[in-house]
Amino acid sequence: MFIALAVLPLLLGLGYAMAYSLGLVGLLSEGFTLAHWEEVLGSAFFWRTMAFSAWVSVVTTVLAVGVALGFVAAWPRVFLRGSLSLFIYFPLAIPAIVMAFIVFQMLSAGGLVSRLAYQLGLISGLEQFPGLVNDYWGIGIIAAHFLMAAPFFIIFFANLYENEQVEEFVQLARTLGAGARQAALRVAAPLLLRRAFPTIVLYGLFVMGAYEAPLLLGRQSNQMVSVLAIQKLQRFNLGDIPQAYVACIAYSAIVLSLAVWLLGRNGEERLKYQGSGGRGKKV
Amino acid sequence: MLLQAIDIAKHFGREEILRSASLELPQGEMLSILGRSGSGKTTLLKILAGLESADSGRVFLEGRDISGQPPHRRNIVYLYQEPLLFPHLNAFENVAFGLRLRRLPEGEIFQKVNRLLESLGLPEHAAKMPHQLSGGQRQRVAFGRALAVQPKVLLLDEPFGALDTETRASMQQLLKQIAGSFHITGLFVTHDLKEAILMGSRIGLMQEGRLKVYEDKQAFIADAATGVRQEIDFWSGL
Repeated sequence: MFIALAVLPLLLGLGYAMAYSLGLVGLLSEGFTLAHWEEVLGSAFFWRTMAFSAWVSVVTTVLAVGVALGFVAAWPRVFLRGSLSLFIYFPLAIPAIVMAFIVFQMLSAGGLVSRLAYQLGLISGLEQFPGLVNDYWGIGIIAAHFLMAAPFFIIFFANLYENEQVEEFVQLARTLGAGARQAALRVAAPLLLRRAFPTIVLYGLFVMGAYEAPLLLGRQSNQMVSVLAIQKLQRFNLGDIPQAYVACIAYSAIVLSLAVWLLGRNGEERLKYQGSGGRGKKV
Repeated sequence: MLLQAIDIAKHFGREEILRSASLELPQGEMLSILGRSGSGKTTLLKILAGLESADSGRVFLEGRDISGQPPHRRNIVYLYQEPLLFPHLNAFENVAFGLRLRRLPEGEIFQKVNRLLESLGLPEHAAKMPHQLSGGQRQRVAFGRALAVQPKVLLLDEPFGALDTETRASMQQLLKQIAGSFHITGLFVTHDLKEAILMGSRIGLMQEGRLKVYEDKQAFIADAATGVRQEIDFWSGL
């Protein structure tokens, strides 16, 4: 049933995309050819797009994980009980496109932050405000994804902290002579990161393939891979469609390779944790 | 007196966990505390370690009031029922954990840890990760990690509760042996009557948050509340 509902449609979609990219199907199909693959994989623009997507993904994930780890190590219980535990879920309910609009309203040259800076006398004109959206480094895209990722990781780490006996490990470290900061850095952070590693990487892959925020907050020269693929699919030139499929398949190949590697690693990590004498052995 | 707790009281919400619990622990003594689950044993140990704060009462170590001191400044190590070896560190690094916090020279750490691993019968397991060790070996590494920092007091919270009967018996012997050779002063909490008698040079009974420490084992056996007489009668009647 799982194969029929989840794996089969994926394989059929990938098969169709592969056939299209090889010129076997499609309106302008002229039979088998590797020309589309050669064109895409030989293009510097495509690799710049992949590199830019990876940059946005890595920076977003590292920032969000770092901030979330800091919050949870400092206040592990606050996010599981009380009013803040409800408030922290709100950002997760906001759709990505709405979050992108919020960031645009905040960080664009005519946005709230720019106007505030002007009122405070930090800039003498709106044109002096640095380009934080539709910018070269993808700061706007990173900001939008960070605002969604940080609450997710805070909730995730707070639950791990409680369920994986991290509190006990930290308390033990404290009696062995670790100050609160040392216990957080030497014990809580490594434990949480090891348990959360597959999720962190999967979230990074999700950000790498995200579409809405890059569409609104990105630009033409440094595109993310999803925007590149959609633009090629929807262009008037039907000859670009196979290239869109090449981009999608190349991206999927990277994601699938990472997912397979992660599944193996996750199994090993679970085994290692079970052997540490923690409650995890009952999992 | 090495460790002294005076009139320790603790509530969690409306529930009274500890009621004026007091104890005295001279240097080199292992005091067993027997009590059922929920009787307040763990809370008492955590207050002594500085992991919980008492509502009232004071804790003294070598005559100094340590009631307000954070756990990392007390030099009192608390051991859980489970060994809780850090899963990201091998056996050597687990034992070395507290020494590295104290920034000892590498050579000294190497010597101390290897000596401890040898005395615990684990020299060939130094490079192994926790998941590669058996339950008994993990508990030995946990002891080594605690002993490495030369704690003034060792608090053992049912340390053998997760082990099978055979391993438990051998670990009890090992603890008695290392307690003697390392001159350990400790509190050994258990709900097992036999273990309490075996491990402690004196015994205390914790009931509904009240702690009664007996003068000697004979006084403990003589008190009907401890259940020893019932146990003796049961086995005699078979």
